[in-house]
Amino acid sequence: MRVVIVGCGRFGAELATRLFQGGHEVSIIDADEASFARLPDNFEGRINQGEALDRDVLHRAGIEKADAVAVVTDSDILNAAVGHVAHTYYNKTNVVVRNHDPRYRPILEAYGLQMVSALSWGAQRLEEMIYHDDVRPVFSAGNGEVEIYEVSVPKEWSGHSLSDVVIEGTCIPVSITRAGRAMLPSAQIKIEEGDIIHVSATLGGVEALRNHMNMSK
Amino acid sequence: MFVVIVGGGRTGAQLASLLLSQDHEVRVIDDRKDVLGRIHHELPTESIIEGDPLEFDVLEQANIQQADVVAAVGTRDDYNLTVCYIARTRYKVPRTIARVNNPRDAWLFDERFHVDVAVNQADILASLISEEMSLGDMITLLKLRRGNYSLVEEKIPAGARAIGVAIKDLGLPDHCVIAAIIRNGEVIVPRGVTTFEADDEVLAVTDSEGALRLAELFSRAAKDGSREARVQRSVRKGLLGGS
Repeated sequence: MRVVIVGCGRFGAELATRLFQGGHEVSIIDADEASFARLPDNFEGRINQGEALDRDVLHRAGIEKADAVAVVTDSDILNAAVGHVAHTYYNKTNVVVRNHDPRYRPILEAYGLQMVSALSWGAQRLEEMIYHDDVRPVFSAGNGEVEIYEVSVPKEWSGHSLSDVVIEGTCIPVSITRAGRAMLPSAQIKIEEGDIIHVSATLGGVEALRNHMNMSK
Repeated sequence: MFVVIVGGGRTGAQLASLLLSQDHEVRVIDDRKDVLGRIHHELPTESIIEGDPLEFDVLEQANIQQADVVAAVGTRDDYNLTVCYIARTRYKVPRTIARVNNPRDAWLFDERFHVDVAVNQADILASLISEEMSLGDMITLLKLRRGNYSLVEEKIPAGARAIGVAIKDLGLPDHCVIAAIIRNGEVIVPRGVTTFEADDEVLAVTDSEGALRLAELFSRAAKDGSREARVQRSVRKGLLGGS
């Protein structure tokens, strides 16, 4: 895959290194020549010094033939503008931008860009790790707005139906695993201690589930 | 008219003062302490909004949803582009104007970022300077908005080659019309048979090519090899002419 990366800070250099090691053709842009020192010595991708909104620089980096564009500078507004240029001026469909300051997230959303918010995502991971381990996330969608959680059924819930414990509107049960065998859940099914329930929930939804669990204990 | 100006630097503050003097309603948004300190001396408090213009509540505090025009005149092109984009897509502002700081970014200032008018200062200055170089004493009074026409004024010096020649015999290009002659304080409406005299002030509506031809006719006939002759030759070849 041919990937153009805009921004060679710690984030961009890490991404470039990973993609390069994965055998992809990487072309990286940064306005500051010194930033390329962050790339490993064996990096063989293309290095382009220049401003990312400059058409000549974008062309030199090969944006016209790129399969994907990642815009990861530490300026959200520059990321938004470059992402929009890649998407609208070059018809790139695989464009991902980095959200640095959560304050500017609505701007990236307004441009309709796919984004990764490392800060929000990391903070949420930490937040979850601080909480108990009876409910833990196993899959994260988007920037963690909705996640799949794994819940171990406590003995207090034994004999209840799924609809008693998983409150409608905040959590959606996606599977029940009993003795290593998973099945699709139905609201009437009686759960037993030791069952593993997977639910899809927002952070608020999983909080409600935890409170409910603690109250029944 | 209600105008929201994003960026309170020299350009934004000057624009705000100008619009306020013409009785327009104005809001200027900026979040830089030094800039705010200065514009609070220059502009009424109610027209200044302190905050980051790329936070929606700040834009809404400036009442952007009611704006007739948004002018993005900050010093960063990515910000100016984004202000126009948000103004149109989120707040349906009917007209957006943006300042181009780096001429290499000028290609982006179009409908894809919802910029209606781009003001490229480097370009404007460069063409003004190149015009001044080639047109000598001619003064551009007014740039007409559509097309490349200007209203220009020039005083005819003694010895100019146009003196004594009827207008119809000057061989003016099609895109150049003599609009008025001011002679001894009186306005003369020019006809084809009218001839120029020394010290006439001439008003003409013309494009850049016509302006060059006028500059030539209204200058003294130069001796070959003199500096003036060289300049006039360069002008004819278009070496110094603006676009």
